Amino acid sequence: MKTSTTTALVLSLGLLLTGCAQGAPEATSSVKPSQGAQHQTQAQALTATDTWAKAAESGMSAAFGTLHNNSETPLELHKVSNAAGDEIQLHEMTGSGQDMSMKQLEGDLVIAPGADVVLAPGGNHLMFMDLKKPLVAAQSTTLDLEFSDGSSTEVDFAIRNFDGAKENYDEHAGH
Amino acid sequence: MSMPGINVPRRLLLGSTAAAAAGGLLTGFGTGSLRAADAQEPQAVSTPGYRPFFGRYQSGIIDAQQEHAVFAGWDLSWREGSRKDQLRSLLQMITDDASRLMSGRGVLADTEAEMAQIPSELTITVGVGQSLLEVIGQGKIGTMPAFAGDQLDERYGQTDLLIQFCSQDPTVLQHAVRAVSKNLRTLTRRRFVQAGFIRAKPGQESFRNLFGQLDGINNPKDQARAQAVFDDSWIGNGTTLALRRFDMDLDRWDEVDVSGRDFALGRRQADGSPLSGQSVDDPVDLAAVNGLGLPSIAANAHVALAKPAHAAQSIHRRGYNFVDAGRSGLLFASYQADPQASFIPVQHRLAAADALNTWLTATGSALYAILPGIEEGMYLGEQLIG
Repeated sequence: MKTSTTTALVLSLGLLLTGCAQGAPEATSSVKPSQGAQHQTQAQALTATDTWAKAAESGMSAAFGTLHNNSETPLELHKVSNAAGDEIQLHEMTGSGQDMSMKQLEGDLVIAPGADVVLAPGGNHLMFMDLKKPLVAAQSTTLDLEFSDGSSTEVDFAIRNFDGAKENYDEHAGH
Repeated sequence: MSMPGINVPRRLLLGSTAAAAAGGLLTGFGTGSLRAADAQEPQAVSTPGYRPFFGRYQSGIIDAQQEHAVFAGWDLSWREGSRKDQLRSLLQMITDDASRLMSGRGVLADTEAEMAQIPSELTITVGVGQSLLEVIGQGKIGTMPAFAGDQLDERYGQTDLLIQFCSQDPTVLQHAVRAVSKNLRTLTRRRFVQAGFIRAKPGQESFRNLFGQLDGINNPKDQARAQAVFDDSWIGNGTTLALRRFDMDLDRWDEVDVSGRDFALGRRQADGSPLSGQSVDDPVDLAAVNGLGLPSIAANAHVALAKPAHAAQSIHRRGYNFVDAGRSGLLFASYQADPQASFIPVQHRLAAADALNTWLTATGSALYAILPGIEEGMYLGEQLIG
């Protein structure tokens, strides 16, 4: 059921995904400041900074960054997709120290009003489950972030070499 | 705008903008990339401890020399597909890395971002060899010719990409080298990392090389320096870097007495004054004679041969001492608008006859096109690649 929705969304946005302008050091998502807060969608209230994804030829990878909520109501990140049609899950880390493992977030990722959610190695992150195309270092990849109100926004993630983020995958976490 | 726990020096970002504006750069470029909040705030001039990344020229060229440097060279490993596109992506990444590091932030995916804080005048200056100009299909600087006496180690030869890292703090410096190298590693093969150091007296630009000589005395200054480095170069606001590695035979240099050393250089080791004068600021006068009617400065003295025959032969030296695995010497680095008209003919004269050649051996040699400065929102090389 969800798959068909995703596909339609991806097709409608697919033509926009070719940009690669990451030269700006403070690359942010192209969210325009709101004119009237009462008309603002959740997607418009998002500012994403320092967004990057781990380079990988195939298989799993992950994406990170800081998601900021500019509005006075919570943002609920519901789904992440891309033009390649990769399965991308919202993951959270559980446990501590050397015994951390990750599992799919139950429900939406909530960003409190005015707050940041930091997606980082060892913490919450966006997880590519099985890449259909390589993530090549120095290039960038665009993800579509869809919120609970149905609004969505595209965010560029710079692709970087990274040897960390080898967290254990918790096979018993209800997949 | 910030990594967790790292404060972005806001004045710095503004300072860069101010510097770019002062350089007349903003004309004709996308000033729309400035965020509204920045544009409304008063513009600071500069922040102590930070060198601007954005500006008319890249930093690390005509600005004051920092005490520590690393010159690192890479060859690119190409994937299938457009090489120009791959080079663009790579330069975009380096631009992002350099702008973050020079403002005291870690790069993306940095595992030790704390080490980037207090950059201590870190500069990251990017150049490309003729090989990458061919990939771009624009620009020509040529390659370094062979010089008499060269005993080159292939390891220190020409590479596709060259980055000069400089800082007052060697820890910050080494983190920057590692951070940039980690991001490059799957895209390149690193050929050399050459570290150097100097100590200049406060307010002076000359430093003692490992022969004990004052180096950098006759560098062009101020406007003359900018002209020597940038005027009529291969691209507007770009320049070239001649990078040569000279091993010094310090054991045999020990055998030479002071007068012999001064004769070979043409200046006095004690204070750098030319043998044709009394003060370090006196000109090198090749016509001056001593009490015996002989030239004060020998025709094969280093300064006699290095002296520019005319203004177009002027270069700006920004070299560093090195001690590496038991070998010592000078990482000769000079910036000049047109090496064919300046560095190369001067180096041919020196290679043929310089009295110092007895104790000097060139083991590395390369020539790079140094990319023009950029403003925020652009990437290094954008003027060439588009």
